[in-house]
Amino acid sequence: MNRPVSRRSLLGKIAAAVAGVLAAPAAKAAKTIAQKVLVSTDAPKGYDPTQHKWVMAIDANRCIGCGFCAEACKKENHVPEGPYFRTWVERYIITKPKPGSGAARGETLVDSPDGGIHGYPEAPVPKEEIQHSFFVPKLCNLCHHSPCVQVCPVGASFDAPDGTVLVDPNYCIGCGFCIQACPYGCRFLSPITKTAEKCTLCYHRITRGLKPACVEVCPTQARIFGDLKHPVPDDPIQQFYQNNLVMALKPHLGTEPRVFYAGIDKEVR
Amino acid sequence: MRRFLNMPPQVFRIVLLAVGIVVAYSIARYFLTPPSFEEYGFYRGAALAELATRDRVYAGKKACDECHSDEYQMLMKHEHKGLACESCHGPGEAHAEDPRKDNIQRSGYAACLRCHEANPSRPKWHKQIVSKNHYTGKCTECHVPHSPSEVP
Repeated sequence: MNRPVSRRSLLGKIAAAVAGVLAAPAAKAAKTIAQKVLVSTDAPKGYDPTQHKWVMAIDANRCIGCGFCAEACKKENHVPEGPYFRTWVERYIITKPKPGSGAARGETLVDSPDGGIHGYPEAPVPKEEIQHSFFVPKLCNLCHHSPCVQVCPVGASFDAPDGTVLVDPNYCIGCGFCIQACPYGCRFLSPITKTAEKCTLCYHRITRGLKPACVEVCPTQARIFGDLKHPVPDDPIQQFYQNNLVMALKPHLGTEPRVFYAGIDKEVR
Repeated sequence: MRRFLNMPPQVFRIVLLAVGIVVAYSIARYFLTPPSFEEYGFYRGAALAELATRDRVYAGKKACDECHSDEYQMLMKHEHKGLACESCHGPGEAHAEDPRKDNIQRSGYAACLRCHEANPSRPKWHKQIVSKNHYTGKCTECHVPHSPSEVP
């Protein structure tokens, strides 16, 4: 194979090589331009999501059902008017069993009118017939194995390294799969943005060193918030685990919620 | 090489088409993948920073303490120390930015009863009243909200 190289083929090869060398930076430049058009970043600096692990805990023994948390959440996060909540408070009423029925307890009645923001109407059963009644604040359970993240077809729903479960509003296509997947009903499709929305643990607050709005306004410290990677002296989260017997919601689903509850009944779902 | 090019034309076309699809996909992926994708995982890392840029509505206790430290200190010494200022006075970021009387709530009678009206679902340790049997005037005639045990 010792064919002479023709001038034409040599020139052609040189031209191809030059074009190749020029094309690489041109492609890079084109990529940066394309990305600048598609993505805008004017984000604050100084917060490293890998250095935190946020968690919330709920002490239902302390919840008085004032609804300040649900109201603050709506205002802080501009949650649409109507039946849309990132956090809400449920009232559980367990009635006494009917005499002679042989049951340990009666019916379980659950309501959360307007998320509890405007209080609760008179109990549907007279006080004498109530065996046990209590309030349970609800929010995103910050699952280890989030079903909502698993079903997202576009990677818009994700488990952030700092423990929050977030939705990228620019990439959410509003298909609603995550809303069906969440076993705790913690997501909704915003009628304004047409994207899925959920509790972000007030991401814009916690990244600036503030507490989530619901924790801030809770008058009885029924909501406890902290960073597992940076426990403070007398850390409220550590004290919560020390002083309470805790449980998670729907543990049989294997979602491994990171939000633990103290003082709730087995009827709570 | 020559043998490869001598493959039957119908096979050659299919191979060419397949190569074309792969190349087109690679080019599209190269240009359309956001730069921060897979920074932390299979999602756009920049979304974290974008979600953190929202403005807050509630300022937090510390912001109130800057101007109203007398009330704040008083609150911290008494039974209502667990309350945030914004529990009763509503969101205060606008007021903290531009302190005026008309951009913050003056808390009232309803705020007291929101927590203290008797309700069988409330825990027993919490102080509750049946307002219509308790008193029909203003709460503040007998109670100081910032130090509830004090009598005015």
